[in-house]
Amino acid sequence: MSKIACSDSRYTYYREIRNGSLQTIDVHEIIVARSNGRIIFLCASILLLLLHVSNLAYLMNQESQVIYIVGALLLSILVIISSQLRVVQKERVVIMPAFGVQLETYYWSGRVSRRLLSVGKILRPVLNEIVTPVRCYWSLALVLDGHEELMPVFQESQPPVKMLAPIWKALCAATGGEE
Amino acid sequence: MAEKTAPARAVAERKRHTILMVSDFFYPNFGGVESHIYCLSQCLISLGHKVVIMTHSYGNRSGVRYMSNGLKVYYIPWRPFFLQNTLPTFYLTLPIMRNIFIRERISVVHGHQAFSTLCHEAIMHARTMGYNVVFTDHSLYGFADIGSIHMNKVLQFTVADVNHAICVSHTSKENTVLRSGLPPEKVFVIPNAVDAAMFNPAPKRLNCDEIVIVVISRLVYRKGADLLVEVIPEVCNLFPNVRFIIGGDGPKRLRLEEMREKHSLQDRVSMLGAVPHAQVRSVLISGHIFLNSSLTEAFCIAILEAACCGLLTVSTRVGGVPEVLPDDMVVLAEPVPSDMVLAIKKAIDRLPSIDPHAMHLRIKNLYSWHDVARRTEIVYDRGRRCSDENLLQRLSRYLNCGAWAGKLFCIVMIIDFLFWQFLQWWQPSEEIEVVPDLMRAGCRRGGTMPGGNVEKGRAQSDSLG
Repeated sequence: MSKIACSDSRYTYYREIRNGSLQTIDVHEIIVARSNGRIIFLCASILLLLLHVSNLAYLMNQESQVIYIVGALLLSILVIISSQLRVVQKERVVIMPAFGVQLETYYWSGRVSRRLLSVGKILRPVLNEIVTPVRCYWSLALVLDGHEELMPVFQESQPPVKMLAPIWKALCAATGGEE
Repeated sequence: MAEKTAPARAVAERKRHTILMVSDFFYPNFGGVESHIYCLSQCLISLGHKVVIMTHSYGNRSGVRYMSNGLKVYYIPWRPFFLQNTLPTFYLTLPIMRNIFIRERISVVHGHQAFSTLCHEAIMHARTMGYNVVFTDHSLYGFADIGSIHMNKVLQFTVADVNHAICVSHTSKENTVLRSGLPPEKVFVIPNAVDAAMFNPAPKRLNCDEIVIVVISRLVYRKGADLLVEVIPEVCNLFPNVRFIIGGDGPKRLRLEEMREKHSLQDRVSMLGAVPHAQVRSVLISGHIFLNSSLTEAFCIAILEAACCGLLTVSTRVGGVPEVLPDDMVVLAEPVPSDMVLAIKKAIDRLPSIDPHAMHLRIKNLYSWHDVARRTEIVYDRGRRCSDENLLQRLSRYLNCGAWAGKLFCIVMIIDFLFWQFLQWWQPSEEIEVVPDLMRAGCRRGGTMPGGNVEKGRAQSDSLG
């Protein structure tokens, strides 16, 4: 069993090779650092909303004030909860050469999303450059047999290419493709 | 130790540039500007430089694409909103442009065409970030109408701070200098060229019993389609052995078809519709004379292509057209029907003395994209020698743009500078990953002619895999 790690301000990359009795399992893990700035921004926005609501509540009668403030508080709580539900804690790629590749996404809420792809279904792993209206970044994706669209390996996070490159190489080796 | 090729040695001695060509006009559109950008890029790559192109997305064509010889194209997902131009937002393109400038390690930003909003924004942002900037103007514009007045003011603002400008003819240089207020010593004249391998004459010379006049252009007002409506019936009346082939499409097509019906010229005037660029040569070599009736042209690549195919050219004497061809290859006329008919008569009389293959060889020696690339490289080298200036020094140039406009332009640039500083804090340059230069080893093929044995315009999506 061996571990290799590299990290930057947002992501930490771990690689673990487990020598099992039947085959070697290659685990690549990207841990996403929790963004305090995002939480502060969210709380500040909620606070501003509540201040605005309380200003408006002065214009209403007492009954309406209570309903209005309670409604705003409930809405704020819902927004905070729903935003936290989708925050990713880590993403993992488990490569079992003779079997397949499992893509796992762990959320801070405790939810885990898994998807298993058999080796035969993966035609080729590719490193793509994604262009959005405001930035460009690298993405690791899989070309799947019978699918027109690429499947991104990391569904939620966007790790840097220095972390994607060893994962891509490992996937190439596992699927029998050339680098 | 392996010997370097001559271009590689020369580049090592000079220094390699990483050039970003920016324009709203590129493949899959076909046109003069598009061809210019593509051919120039290919020749710069063969000289050892790295070239990246940035344009807007075309339908589903969005993201990164690779063309021949590793030419990388960014189709940024900003949709065109008017005549293939992206919506001018001033500042919203700064994040993506900054990202591309840093990740590709750009050294020179080269904008094309005054009518391209993406080009203007790229020049503005590049100067804010301190990059060398070159601007190429491909067209002539007026001074009197409201559209031209606004366009010229925008151009004045954009090019106030560029390192150098390139124009495709001396007439175009005069026009650009007057419109933009650029000092003439900053403007270079580098004409367009033609791909002689792609445009060559027919192996066998055509019979002169029936004379075929070819017209290939967009059928719009500024290309003189209305002149054709007057000229064609007159010529058909005077010369019974002349027929016309008209390739191209546009709003004036209907007028030409009406003219054909009115004078019963269906058997003497063939209308082909839009001709794909790959088939232009096959249409040209079916004729003896090429007719150009443009009302304004900065250069006119079309007559160059026609001459390269061995056709004698009849053209209106407008803009930069007189600078393109030697006098024995072209008959010039004023843009009035009577003068054009006389010019066609002169051309018909001159036909027996024309040797298409000799004409092709002369054009091949006169115009070459490799020569254009070498001259453009000199402009880039000059730009590198320009000193770095801070914001205050550069703002003084914008103040010269006008009493009120100057101050407004300064405010725009100051806001751009502040936005850039914000982006430097929000996403430092160190966090933007530099793209590895993977194509360099594979793309140096020692002078591959663009469009010769390479399928011009074939874009292929490629990933590192």
